[in-house]
Amino acid sequence: MSFTPEPGTPLEAYYVQTQPRIGAVLARRSLGTLDAVTIGRYAMTIGVTDRSHYDPAAARSAGYGDVVAPPNMLAAIVEWGVGTPEAQLQPDGTPHDGDMPLGDGGLGLRVMGAGEEMELVNPVTAGTEVLLETTLEAVTPKQTRSGPCVFVTTLNTFSSAEGAVLNRNRRTVVLRNPLQESS
Amino acid sequence: MTINFQVGDTLPPLKHTATPFQLFRYSAVTWNPHRIHFDEPYAREEGHAGVALHSHLRAALALRCVTEGLDDEWRVAKVTYRLRKPVYAPADLAYTARVTAAEGDTMTLELFEQHSSGDVGFEGTAWVSKTPGATP
Repeated sequence: MSFTPEPGTPLEAYYVQTQPRIGAVLARRSLGTLDAVTIGRYAMTIGVTDRSHYDPAAARSAGYGDVVAPPNMLAAIVEWGVGTPEAQLQPDGTPHDGDMPLGDGGLGLRVMGAGEEMELVNPVTAGTEVLLETTLEAVTPKQTRSGPCVFVTTLNTFSSAEGAVLNRNRRTVVLRNPLQESS
Repeated sequence: MTINFQVGDTLPPLKHTATPFQLFRYSAVTWNPHRIHFDEPYAREEGHAGVALHSHLRAALALRCVTEGLDDEWRVAKVTYRLRKPVYAPADLAYTARVTAAEGDTMTLELFEQHSSGDVGFEGTAWVSKTPGATP
């Protein structure tokens, strides 16, 4: 049975704004050149000890050109470059113009990750200039045990500047009404 | 030494305690300003029971279970996962990976994140292969 968010709610406003954009390319841009320190810090933070993430010689002996990123690192980075000034972030801290359409901050929607499908096509090594293309694939309202939600799925294709696909990542987040309107 | 895996084999579980400190560092390294991950009063305003683990951190831990449980020759080619329950730090977590298909140079494993309550908070599938050139 189809479900649409209750009229007049922030979730309904978001759905009306976003659903017509299904199929649109939301972003196509260079993310910059991945450096070894970022790769090492990501590996350190998740607790990986494999030397190929830290040491170029170890990476080369494992068959890579330089230190290699852990599998989901590209997908995990939210802001590339210097990021968004604090005064321009939405009340929940998320950037207004991020790769995932989260709606106008005035809607006060609550967002969380819901799932992902990730193809790791080629290794991601330090020194790679990374390009990203993001397409809005689905905007699906659902009634769940915790109340009305909208699930939003984007397809993110990370490529090298030479045109080789690195990751093909289909990511879904779930948006909910502000707490006072969620029941 | 090459280990041959069979359907039903389970990799050594990855046991991990996620702390607010780790969440702060993960937010920093991924330049993720979403406050539910590091600002506990704000997270509670949104109805959370504390600072919430990032979905990608949980996926990274599940993938560690795979990459650390297999020989270096195996590479992760694809992964899918679905989050069933949020996790709030500090949390004791156990990640497991069980072989559900094994044929030649490819295997499929099902992934689970188990909470200290016994609940499963995350379930997924990883496809690994011996094909050179994928991510370790």
